[in-house]
Amino acid sequence: MSQPTQRQTAPRLSIVSPASEADATNARAADPRAEGSLVLVGVNHTTAPVEVRERLAIPLARLADATRALAHQPGVREALILSTCNRVEFLTIQDHPRAGGSPNLLRFLHEYFAVPAATLEPHLYEFREREAVRHLFRVASSLDSMVVGEPQILGQVKESYSIARQAGAISTALEPLLQRAFAVAKRVRTETQIGSSSVSIASVAVDLARKIFGSLHGKTVLIVGAGKMSDLAARHLIQQGATSILVANRTPERAAQLAGQIAGQISMQLANGPIAIHGAGLACTTEVIPFDLLYDQAARADIVLTSTGSEHPIFNRSHGQSFLERRRNRPMFFIDIAVPRDVDPRMDQVEGCFVYDIDDLQQVAAAHLANRGRESAAAEKIVSREVDLYLERISSRDAVPAIVALQNSAEAIRQSELERTAVRLAATDAALTPAQQSAVDALTRSLTAKLLHPQLTALRKKTED
Amino acid sequence: MTLLWLRLAVLLYGIAALAVLPAALYDRPRWRHIAIPATIAAALFHFVSLTETLNAAHHRLPVETHELQSLLALILALAFLLVYARYRSVSLGIFVLPIVFMLSMLAAFRPGQETFSAPIRNGWIFLHIVLLLAAYAALFLSLLASLLYLIQERRLKRKSSGHGWLSPLDTPLETIDQIALKSLLFGLPCMTAGLLIGSVIAQQDYGAKYFSDPKILLTFGLWLAYIAMIFIRRASGLRGRRAVYLSSFVFLAVLFVWAANQFSAVHRFPVP
Repeated sequence: MSQPTQRQTAPRLSIVSPASEADATNARAADPRAEGSLVLVGVNHTTAPVEVRERLAIPLARLADATRALAHQPGVREALILSTCNRVEFLTIQDHPRAGGSPNLLRFLHEYFAVPAATLEPHLYEFREREAVRHLFRVASSLDSMVVGEPQILGQVKESYSIARQAGAISTALEPLLQRAFAVAKRVRTETQIGSSSVSIASVAVDLARKIFGSLHGKTVLIVGAGKMSDLAARHLIQQGATSILVANRTPERAAQLAGQIAGQISMQLANGPIAIHGAGLACTTEVIPFDLLYDQAARADIVLTSTGSEHPIFNRSHGQSFLERRRNRPMFFIDIAVPRDVDPRMDQVEGCFVYDIDDLQQVAAAHLANRGRESAAAEKIVSREVDLYLERISSRDAVPAIVALQNSAEAIRQSELERTAVRLAATDAALTPAQQSAVDALTRSLTAKLLHPQLTALRKKTED
Repeated sequence: MTLLWLRLAVLLYGIAALAVLPAALYDRPRWRHIAIPATIAAALFHFVSLTETLNAAHHRLPVETHELQSLLALILALAFLLVYARYRSVSLGIFVLPIVFMLSMLAAFRPGQETFSAPIRNGWIFLHIVLLLAAYAALFLSLLASLLYLIQERRLKRKSSGHGWLSPLDTPLETIDQIALKSLLFGLPCMTAGLLIGSVIAQQDYGAKYFSDPKILLTFGLWLAYIAMIFIRRASGLRGRRAVYLSSFVFLAVLFVWAANQFSAVHRFPVP
């Protein structure tokens, strides 16, 4: 896995002068069909602190304008900007970028963000051609992310692509590259387990609940205590289909507040009955239960999420046995994220009770993260193969016009020579019969093909190299 | 030719039995793309082979030992595919597919040694055999599902954090429980109908004395145990260890009935 090339190790960038800008524009005008160079410049979580990244970050609403501005820089033909909380990258196709620097891009960054070049340079990395393709494929496949395998990055790249396309900043060079990047990311997700397991506490808890209950549709969740983590985990559970949330807290007002938050309502009043919420395609009821009725009501819950500040366990083994009896042995899942723990660990010995405390959840999350690391080796191989394939495809595509031109030129010469010979023979009354004409035609075709063969082979090979 | 189809089916069952291990135990869902098509193809070849065998033997009934083994293997394979189609779970295949492989291999490589001359070779006898085999297969499937429940429960309780053998199976506990219960619910009418058909035929051919044989009585006892098991499971929501004990008890009763059949003079129809 290659790390980004830090700007401090690469030749220094310089602000482009008006003269060189004019030169670049002239060169572009003189050869409008010439292939540009792929250049990627950016900062990410490994090269730049958040103080730098936030100065370069572009809100989604301004991304189209920024992309357009970048695409209108002298020497820039096509452009895409990827701006997330962990990275800001500028992907461009440029005319004749100078070796060892992208003055056009640096000038753009300097002007657009009003950040001094000296502040940026130490944190910038730059990739060109093959390495830029590879970097893009790795980013889209989430191999370059802070949490390897996280799924959001592909959506963010697609969003940037969509914005750049609407801004008219993407054309024949970036279009196939980005389409390939999406395909590679999909392949990596399909063929490896890089994104298959959860790595956050809340999502691990949801995953475990699914291992027990399958679909969470129709399940009841009891939240005891009102921590922020409970709120987050409850939201995850609701997203997965849990349809009934019970909230219990020693402070009834706090319980009502959490119920209100979950219900999408900022309500401080005690709930006399169920509050119904219907949002984002979800239908869920929340209900506050008095703390002194906790043990009577807890058996209703399939999942119990506890995070109180109690010094002693709230649920012990006998509670578990009692709940299971009342539930006719239907399993219960206790997610205990409180420290000190709210659930006596011996409750886990009760058949049908599953107790996971914060350490258990963290252990699972860490193991999943380690597994992603192992899977990333397989993903890197896929990316490397895809980079080779992509560049081969582009190379052969690049060679086609030259080959066709050479073949057309040879054919024109052959036709011209045939016509000249036919005229000469006709003048001496020695015109060829149709059979002779056909034989001469075949002979010249064969000669032309054989003479061209070494040149065409060399051209193809050179392009591939 | 029929043996060729069956041996091809055995090969495919073997592949499926191996492929299901990484799919179910090592969190490698892509392996199910080998296990499931291989099982489907094997079941097709198996069906063709069984049909050709019966046609070639000029009878519609699976009366020879290897024909019965072959039919039982086919029913188990179809049950596994049915469970997969309904629950998208391959975990049962860890146990079912090797058993299907073994049963079909016995049928493919060892000629039948025992022949029944069924007194009434008609569709009713065929139905009697198929229904009872289906009931046994359902019971066996339920036992396997209960075992899987136990394994999944242990894995979740062990809180294994890694992938692979120690990580929880791909099938949730509640789904496994549903498979176990629904298998039983499917098996009961099969067993009831199979026993009723057999009883009517026996009554017509042998009279009431047929039912005084302890082995036949044991079969009806098994039917009662089957009903009791369903009742207990439904009434108390029996799961986990105790469900495995109960299923194992009834399954042992099935084995006992089968063993009794080997020693009893009743219900045996040797070729003259």
